[in-house]
Amino acid sequence: MLEMRDVSKIYRTDAVQTHALRGVSLQVSQGEFVAVVGPSGSGKTTFLNIAGLLETFDGGRFLLDGNDTANLSDSARSKLRNEKIGFIFQGFNLIPDLNVFDNVDVPLRYRGFKAHERKQRIERVLELVGLHQRMKHLPAQLSGGQQQRVAIARALAGEPRFLLADEPTGNLDTQTALGVMQLLDEIHAGGATIVMVTHDDDLAQRAQRCVTMRDGAVQSDRARAA
Amino acid sequence: MEFGPILRSLARNKTGAVLIALQIAFTMTVVVNAYFIIGDRQARMQRPSGVAEETLFHLGSAGYTTNYDAVGSLAQDLQLLRSTPGVVDAVAVNQIPLDSSGWSSGAKTAPGNEHQSVPTAMYMGDHRTVATFGLKLVAGRDFTEADVRDRVPNMRGWPDKLMVTQALAAQLWPDEAPQAVLGRSVYIGDEAPATVIAVIEKLQAPWSGWSQVEQSVLVPEKLLWPSVNYMVRTEPGQRDALMPLVEEALATSNTQRIVSAPESMDDTRKRSYALDAGVSRILTVVMVLLVAITALGVIGLVSFSVRRRVKQIGTRRALGATRADIRRYFLLENFIITSVGLVMGAALTVGFNMWTVSALGFPKIDLAYVAGGMLLLWVVGLLAALGPAQRACAIAPAVATRTV
Amino acid sequence: MLAYYFRLAARSIRANWLVSTLMILAVGVGIGACMTIVTVNYLMGKDPIPAKSAQLFAVQLDSWSPDEPANDDGSPPDQLTYMDAAALLQAAAAPRQVAMMQTAFVLQPDDAQTRPFPLTGRAASADFFSMFDVPFLYGQPWSADTEASGQQVAVLTRESNEKIFGGIDSVGRTIRLSGRVFTVVGVLDTWRPMPRYYDVTNSPFGEPEEVMVPFQLHRALQLPRRGNTNCWQPVGDEDADAIYRSECVFTQFWVELPTTEARQAYAAFLDGYVEAQKAAGRFARPLNNRLSDVNQWLKDQKVVDENARMMLGVAVMFLVVCLLNTIGLLLAKFVGKAPEIGLRRALGASRSTLFAQYLVESVTVGALGGLLGLLLTWFGLLGVEMLFGNLVRGLVRLDGVMVGTALLLAIFASVLAGLYPTWRACSVQPAAQLKSQ
Repeated sequence: MLEMRDVSKIYRTDAVQTHALRGVSLQVSQGEFVAVVGPSGSGKTTFLNIAGLLETFDGGRFLLDGNDTANLSDSARSKLRNEKIGFIFQGFNLIPDLNVFDNVDVPLRYRGFKAHERKQRIERVLELVGLHQRMKHLPAQLSGGQQQRVAIARALAGEPRFLLADEPTGNLDTQTALGVMQLLDEIHAGGATIVMVTHDDDLAQRAQRCVTMRDGAVQSDRARAA
Repeated sequence: MEFGPILRSLARNKTGAVLIALQIAFTMTVVVNAYFIIGDRQARMQRPSGVAEETLFHLGSAGYTTNYDAVGSLAQDLQLLRSTPGVVDAVAVNQIPLDSSGWSSGAKTAPGNEHQSVPTAMYMGDHRTVATFGLKLVAGRDFTEADVRDRVPNMRGWPDKLMVTQALAAQLWPDEAPQAVLGRSVYIGDEAPATVIAVIEKLQAPWSGWSQVEQSVLVPEKLLWPSVNYMVRTEPGQRDALMPLVEEALATSNTQRIVSAPESMDDTRKRSYALDAGVSRILTVVMVLLVAITALGVIGLVSFSVRRRVKQIGTRRALGATRADIRRYFLLENFIITSVGLVMGAALTVGFNMWTVSALGFPKIDLAYVAGGMLLLWVVGLLAALGPAQRACAIAPAVATRTV
Repeated sequence: MLAYYFRLAARSIRANWLVSTLMILAVGVGIGACMTIVTVNYLMGKDPIPAKSAQLFAVQLDSWSPDEPANDDGSPPDQLTYMDAAALLQAAAAPRQVAMMQTAFVLQPDDAQTRPFPLTGRAASADFFSMFDVPFLYGQPWSADTEASGQQVAVLTRESNEKIFGGIDSVGRTIRLSGRVFTVVGVLDTWRPMPRYYDVTNSPFGEPEEVMVPFQLHRALQLPRRGNTNCWQPVGDEDADAIYRSECVFTQFWVELPTTEARQAYAAFLDGYVEAQKAAGRFARPLNNRLSDVNQWLKDQKVVDENARMMLGVAVMFLVVCLLNTIGLLLAKFVGKAPEIGLRRALGASRSTLFAQYLVESVTVGALGGLLGLLLTWFGLLGVEMLFGNLVRGLVRLDGVMVGTALLLAIFASVLAGLYPTWRACSVQPAAQLKSQ
């Protein structure tokens, strides 16, 4: 369970203070597929960064699977992130110098798995996303859709509790985007918890639940019949 | 550890790595060879000459008039020198250790052309030479006044007694103890033989760069030449004050000759090894500069590689890498690059040394120096990479979701 | 357009002043270290008399012991016996020839107050001055007749004339040298052959001797011998003249042979001379005469010290490291510029235009580094002079050739260092850069 209570975040520079989040409260339960929508600057990405432990917050509480994340050290946060969370980025964020296999391998290494277990997991997730034939390819040799599939495989390989997706289809054409969404649906159907940030209402329709943000706060939170 | 991925990633992004590795390789070559050469020169410069350098100085007297009275001048000069307060003793000799000019000849144990002669420096001085120079005899007795022969200009041949240095004795009679050498005959040039009456522990030839610098003979001669060198032994601590006084006294006592400026043995040593000292100093500066430049280069290139990979680092952090993981990644990457450079450097180092050995006659390098150089540059490489690696692990994980 | 590139380069250097300073420093230090050593090597080994170096030949005859060669490599001794030098001089088989050796004098001033002082000397036959293009300030060389007559004449250098006569025209004046009176017939103008090729056996980087006297006076007056004397057998008799009849070598002999034919003829003459000597019982070794022109001579006699050659190797590697460094720094710098490059390309700059622009920047850095390098070279040479003192006096000056070489080397090096990073920077795809904006 991912639980935020009254979380706020303020970005400070010398001249300006920006309230990125103003008391966000939200619960995501096991097995949910939540879409977070809202216009640019509504605080979606900040929400996702805090949910994924990429950033700290200034007020409120955030419990991840029952762990209070407020006072964790940087390396404890890294460990928690590595175990509980899988990230899917808008820009795929594959490491250009590493091939598909090594890219998927990255979080598993930080997890400290043994070599043969890593290999098993990598092969399994790449088969799941349909790219097990391309293990030796470099990211630059793949299409955008294939790259995002690799990124999804990388997010899944450690079997995280939560999959956080940041505009996962933002850099893809409609057709490819559809394929990626279908893959996410399948993963969700397999039991994964997914939180997806998007500004595309059509995509949001696919989720069970749609949270709308505006000016750093939750404006609406609607469940949708599947 | 993540050797595999780092290596594969490096293989796709060679430029920076190759630049660092090459810099390390060349730096190692220069540093190790320079250090080795400096060590070799320092060892040469620290060889003792065998004389009591800190209480000795020398000056030359050259009579120039056509009717110069060499006999009278010598007696008068020695009388003056030996009676000067602060002077322990003084002798007239043909040459001075390390002074860079002097006599050499060939010594052998039997006459005739079929016998190989051993090169040796030829020192000539009276029975007070051993005491004045401060030489140590390891066997035999000092010369007596009766042993000393008068030597006039253009005279041939040698006295019937002489002393040899230990090093020369070892060349002439290998495996014989100094005591056993006493009484043996030595042929200098093709002259009548002389008997060894003492073995000197050490007396270096006038030429510090000569490979047989330890091989010297001392013969008992009273030099009745217009041109002689006076070696003067002083009480400890009085030498430097006495030098100008002695010069002035000699110069005014007899104007039929000119007196050359006195030089302390310390200065003679400095002059003799000026080239070695200079080379050592230049190489030291080169070593320090080069290590500094290479360290800067490593810092620059690792910083460059960090800057290029900001997004990647953020992504790794987002995927669960701790700061320590990121730091370790860059240090490990640098360690691999440095190691490759050092392996190339070891080959290049030995290659450069082989060139100096074959083309320039330098000594062969000890492989311990190569190992030491590798160790040093490993440390330098890691220290240099530490700063940029620290900056890399300060990169916030949130850059992963930043699209700008 | 070029002016625009220079403005851009200046702006870029100012904007990235830290990296730019580091680059200029790296190029400068590299060039400085390299040029210091190269200059010393160059001056040690450079042709001291370019106009005639191919026509002047050092003569070597193998008069050495039947039992062993004079040198381990089998080459003949580097000097001649007095007998041979005098005989070759007498034969005059070359258009010009000179026999000579070092000596020493003591100058006795006329006024009793001044103490006598030593002067370095050289006894040389009359052709010395014309063969080696020695410039005269006052007077002229002694003639062959004067030499033959045994008159006690002397030629001073500009420096010794300054020391003895305060720099006046001293031709016709007399000086007392070691108890004998000599008449000054000439004073040299500034003359400092570097290296002192005519006698590299004795201080190859030293100054010319302060007093020159006719060759034959050396034996006639039994002047002292200075410089290296090597003997393979003892001097025959116990009189002062014996050394001149001995097999000891202490004399240098040079000939001027303007054409190949003259050279061949002289070589044949030398062979004949040695054969005749062999018949008379000398020259027990196989025929091994050598005629070496100036540059060959300097090479054979290893005038460039092995330390200097080792240093040259070190300096070259030093420069390589500095260049690798500059390449790295330029790469780092240009990577930061990728967005700007993408933008410029999107705005219509062609790849070659950009290439030119960044190359101008590299060249500017190189030129600045080169100037710094020159300054450092100058300091470096001062340092070398301080360290080595008399060993290299006069070796340490920057001449035009070296200044030009340093600047060209710096620019060439930085262009070389700049090419790859520039090419990398310019191969940025404009679209890729803009998309990620």
